[in-house]
Amino acid sequence: MTRKVRLFVVALSLLALLLPAGGALAAKPIVIGAPLSTAFLYGWDAERAMKLAVEEINAAGGVKVGGEMRPFELDVIDTRDLEPGVPVSEALLAVEKLILEKHADFIVGGPVRSEAALAAMALLSKHKKISILTTGSLTPKYHAVVGKNPEKFKYLFRISGEAKWMVLGELVPCLMDIGKQFKLDKLYIMVQDVAHARTGGKILKKVMGKKGWKVLADPVVYPTGSTDFSMGLLDAKKKGAQVIIIWMDMPESAILLKQWYDMKVPALPFGTIIAAAEQPGFWKATDGKGEYCLANVVNAGNAPSDATPWTMKFVKAYQKKYGMEPEGYGTSSSYMAVYVLKNAIERAGSLDPDKVVAALKATDMMGVYGRIRFDPKTNQIIPSLDPKEGAVGTVFQWQKGKRVVVFPPKIATGKILLPPWMKAGK
Amino acid sequence: MDIIIYGIINSATLALMALGFTLVYGVSRLPNFAHGALYVLAGYICWILLHKLGLPYVLAIALSLAFLAVVGGAMYSFILVRIRGMSISEIIASYAIGLAILEGLRWGGLKGGTFTLDSFVEGSVDIFGVTVDYQRLLVVGLGAVLVGLLYFFVNRTRLGLALKGMAQDERAALTLGIDSDRMAIASMALGSLSAAVAAIILLPLGSIVVEAGYHVLIMAVAVCIVGGLGSWTGAILAAFVIGFAQILTTVYLGAHFSVVVALVAIILTLIIKPSGLFGKQKELEERV
Repeated sequence: MTRKVRLFVVALSLLALLLPAGGALAAKPIVIGAPLSTAFLYGWDAERAMKLAVEEINAAGGVKVGGEMRPFELDVIDTRDLEPGVPVSEALLAVEKLILEKHADFIVGGPVRSEAALAAMALLSKHKKISILTTGSLTPKYHAVVGKNPEKFKYLFRISGEAKWMVLGELVPCLMDIGKQFKLDKLYIMVQDVAHARTGGKILKKVMGKKGWKVLADPVVYPTGSTDFSMGLLDAKKKGAQVIIIWMDMPESAILLKQWYDMKVPALPFGTIIAAAEQPGFWKATDGKGEYCLANVVNAGNAPSDATPWTMKFVKAYQKKYGMEPEGYGTSSSYMAVYVLKNAIERAGSLDPDKVVAALKATDMMGVYGRIRFDPKTNQIIPSLDPKEGAVGTVFQWQKGKRVVVFPPKIATGKILLPPWMKAGK
Repeated sequence: MDIIIYGIINSATLALMALGFTLVYGVSRLPNFAHGALYVLAGYICWILLHKLGLPYVLAIALSLAFLAVVGGAMYSFILVRIRGMSISEIIASYAIGLAILEGLRWGGLKGGTFTLDSFVEGSVDIFGVTVDYQRLLVVGLGAVLVGLLYFFVNRTRLGLALKGMAQDERAALTLGIDSDRMAIASMALGSLSAAVAAIILLPLGSIVVEAGYHVLIMAVAVCIVGGLGSWTGAILAAFVIGFAQILTTVYLGAHFSVVVALVAIILTLIIKPSGLFGKQKELEERV
């Protein structure tokens, strides 16, 4: 081969390599509208995760729609719905803007606060806009509403966990394990004044009471933005609480743990949802005062574990891009939602909402947190304690500066420890 | 006993939050609605000096206090001086400055609960069977010291007496050669300094979040309205009334009701005694 021919072949090969990506980038993008409360953990973690997924997918050539490769484009709007005192209407305006002005093809992410997500359901259905909830909203009412009127709300999916499963499927079994292991049975519940937490607290009180645990008081409800938990902690200490359930998605929940440590309350803090303790930076922020705190980050992948082969691949990719491990509970689900959407669009071969809905309903793929399938009636992701069967959760405990996964047993990497000022029961 | 101990701590916390606001209004009749934002700004500046520049804690605190005093003085010199005397404009302008500071901090990356200041002292002690950490005891102690220092400053120093003169009768003070604008700059600088002191003492108990700015502003306004706008004695008394009411509400009604205590206190004050516990500016209207 002459030098000219060799050069021509090399140039042609390079062109062939670049064509799919180049072609996808030149094509009209598929717009993912993300209404997120970006100033809060469950908003910014979702935004980062979605960005990562979009970048990965676009770098690999984009999404195949029919015969054309098209890139994803992410358009994020701050709903501010996790901020205290911000009305639900703000989040609705954000969703409407994404649909009408930004011409989003799909809505992924929020609204984050349950109240706002519920309010947005009618709006999304009216515009026949497929929405995949990935963060925040944990209220069981969301998929119950879809289940009651599946035709009207067929465009609405949720790919992250929900409160009922978290309580009955994860928290209660985990508490029963703790009770058995350390002979503990006295529970105190502190929740934030928001729908999912209040409901979760009530359910937990009822269920644990039936399981033979002594629930020492009605769930103590704290307004969003509370900065003092001393009276509740003193009450818990006085009543002899052995486990304190915390259900709060506000950053001020770190204050609760600092107070718990300073008061040396002899009870294990267990954050069903505890925004502050979920973050990798929590240890440094509390100077280690949050050690022994358990936290449920809803789906695997939000803390390092080997739930599936994809879990650590995702954790490492996130770490490489953002310099830290995945953060709150909206991270792996938001990342996964973009891949599930890609998969459904490619199977549908179109962006037509009805065709993509049918494809989403038929989803059955392995993801970061296990097998991804939606309940056919409610469009809620099917949960499980086994990643081979469904979306698996993660409960970790802060131990010596690390988030050690302790539940469910199939993905656990360590055992639960009690703080040194607390003794096992008799 | 826990109600008494934590009632005192909560009251001292509120007093610390409100002192700067009261000081500025008392001296220059300026409702500084950027007070909460200055509180958060002080905490964040201190955090940057500590964690980004690696300065010693004491130096970081000193520089933060100085910076906030300058910011307060500059706020008056460059913005508020132009609208002095127009109450509504003063509220709108100062609130806008506060919003710009808070949203600017959020835009700059102040999000979540990872921004914290270290406690001055670690550990806790049992007082009559109630566990209290040292930092909260320090809040009470330093709160009392700050009130004492401000009392000494206002009653025993030339500048303090001039400020007091302005507060009592601005026209009479002007005839005696006291410069109104210079006094307003001094009061804004001192008020901002007080907000910074409160932040440095209180923020190690929690974390530096933008939302604290709104909370501190609401509490400061509530304390000042209940105590009587501009009255320091009234502000301290009001801090104790609201502080204990919040703790009693938490214990007997539930923690989620405590959030409305300050607002209920404002409404009750406006209905029963609009001038507040020690306020004077509305006595005539009340009599009429």
